Amino acid sequence: MRWIKRYLPYVIMYGVAFLWIIPILWMANTAFKPTPDIFSIPPKWIPSHLTLEHVRRLFSEWPFLRWLLNSLIVATSVTFGSLIVSTLAAFSFSRLHWRGRDALFMVLLVFMLLPWQVNVIPLFFTMTKFGFLNTYQGVALPMMAMPIGVFLLRQFFINIPRDLEDAARIDGCSSLGVLFRVIIPVSKPVFAAFGVYMFNFAWNEFFWSMICLRKAQMVTLPVGLKLLQGAFEIDYGLILAGAFAASLPSMLVFLFLKRQIIRGFTLAGSGTKG
Amino acid sequence: MRKKFSRFLYRHRGVEGILFILPFLGLWAVFLAWPVVYGVYISLFDWNPIRGSEFVGLANYIELFHEARFWNAFANTFKFAGMVIPLVMGLGLLFALMVWGWGRVRRGTTFVQASLFFPYLLTVSIVAIVWRWLLDRDFGLIQHTLNSLFPSAPVFLTEPAWALPAVAVATAWWLAGYRMVVLQAGLEEIPRELFESAEIDGALPRHKFIHIVLPLLKPSLLFALVLTIISAFRTFGQVLMMTEGGPGRASEVLALYLYWVGFDYFQVGKAAAAGVVLLFLILIMTLLGVRLLGLKSELQ
Repeated sequence: MRWIKRYLPYVIMYGVAFLWIIPILWMANTAFKPTPDIFSIPPKWIPSHLTLEHVRRLFSEWPFLRWLLNSLIVATSVTFGSLIVSTLAAFSFSRLHWRGRDALFMVLLVFMLLPWQVNVIPLFFTMTKFGFLNTYQGVALPMMAMPIGVFLLRQFFINIPRDLEDAARIDGCSSLGVLFRVIIPVSKPVFAAFGVYMFNFAWNEFFWSMICLRKAQMVTLPVGLKLLQGAFEIDYGLILAGAFAASLPSMLVFLFLKRQIIRGFTLAGSGTKG
Repeated sequence: MRKKFSRFLYRHRGVEGILFILPFLGLWAVFLAWPVVYGVYISLFDWNPIRGSEFVGLANYIELFHEARFWNAFANTFKFAGMVIPLVMGLGLLFALMVWGWGRVRRGTTFVQASLFFPYLLTVSIVAIVWRWLLDRDFGLIQHTLNSLFPSAPVFLTEPAWALPAVAVATAWWLAGYRMVVLQAGLEEIPRELFESAEIDGALPRHKFIHIVLPLLKPSLLFALVLTIISAFRTFGQVLMMTEGGPGRASEVLALYLYWVGFDYFQVGKAAAAGVVLLFLILIMTLLGVRLLGLKSELQ
């Protein structure tokens, strides 16, 4: 009895965790087994042999590496772009005083709740006017202006002791000086958290990317997978190989940095909660 | 010169505040705020950039409200939200309690936490592809397993009544991990002494849950709930790639309807009107969710 009581939680926890990753294991499994094994009844966990055929076709018949590159470019520029503009804005919202500041912040708060879907048609026209369709800037610029970053950073900046800033001001620091010498150095954890959050957001963004990017050479990975699936509905080997290859970067990064990433998301979560 | 400039800035600190916010504000105004206003404007027109647009007042909305397909998408959105919000929140809370309650005493929960969280890092197209394959009517792993356990099990993606639940399950698999992490952080903040003194008073686990955990977890629950409500009402990618709104239109949700009306049929005015409806829907639902938890002040 005692033995059960002691180990039962273990069994349940690991059981649930294992169930939860079955879809991922099955994806990897399908990506590397020959087509006849994919279409076998009952489903086969152990393939007759392993094959790289699907992966080879993925890379030779589809611009998969280009998609990867596009994703990297978009996610990196969104991360750094939003980090810069959000830091400046959050600094102003938390540390400088000007008329209308809090009213504007409330407006941002409300906009934080609104997803792409409500403004995608007019955004599409705006981008057409700028000539930004099918370009990196077209897909990246709207993502850089997400109010969530300003909100998260402001929450953190507000709690930095006033004394630090006053001391710097007495020593002759301008606001820019305060930002660079006082605020930024003590905010590294929140920058890391926000960076992880934004990179993941941009890396995975699907809706706007699909609408803005319409050339097979320009699309990011999430949209590329849609093209893959749309072209061959039932070529599961190729499609799952694509899904597997597209999830590999996230998997590897997560494997090495899982504590930091989970902490980052926690911080992003509890920061916005205020 | 520099000194003069910084003195000027000091005297006009308001100007300075606005200078700092300008880069963000510019991007936000052009790419997020203006499109919302512009969308309301477009929704009042029979929009046609080539032939010329014509002001039609509320005709787009009236057309929308007279269309059975719109109401179908509207109802599906609510059906989906009704399934996915409890599923995501419930699983998230359950996982959080599990990892928090059992993980403290025992080591090695990183693996558990990591496996439950990882799906959240995947993009929606991967989630949709994997689940469509798992639920394939002939060769899907889950579909096959269910069929052999229960001969009368439904064929998820091809039976109209079961397509939306299938998407909801896939969505819960995708999103529950992030809620777990958020709620777990909330649980960690509860002082241990509370539980200890409750135990001395002879409180049962469910008492501890109702009187300590739930009230103190409210801020985290609220945050998770708002996130979940928004993602439920704007659901798009999973449905597009798992069912394409089918079979028939059994799983067509508002975001998908909007996309097809706007980008497939090019009825831009009508799609913009649907966007405005969705906007109000999300605002109302979020506020309702916040109110429901009685936590108006928490958002400040």
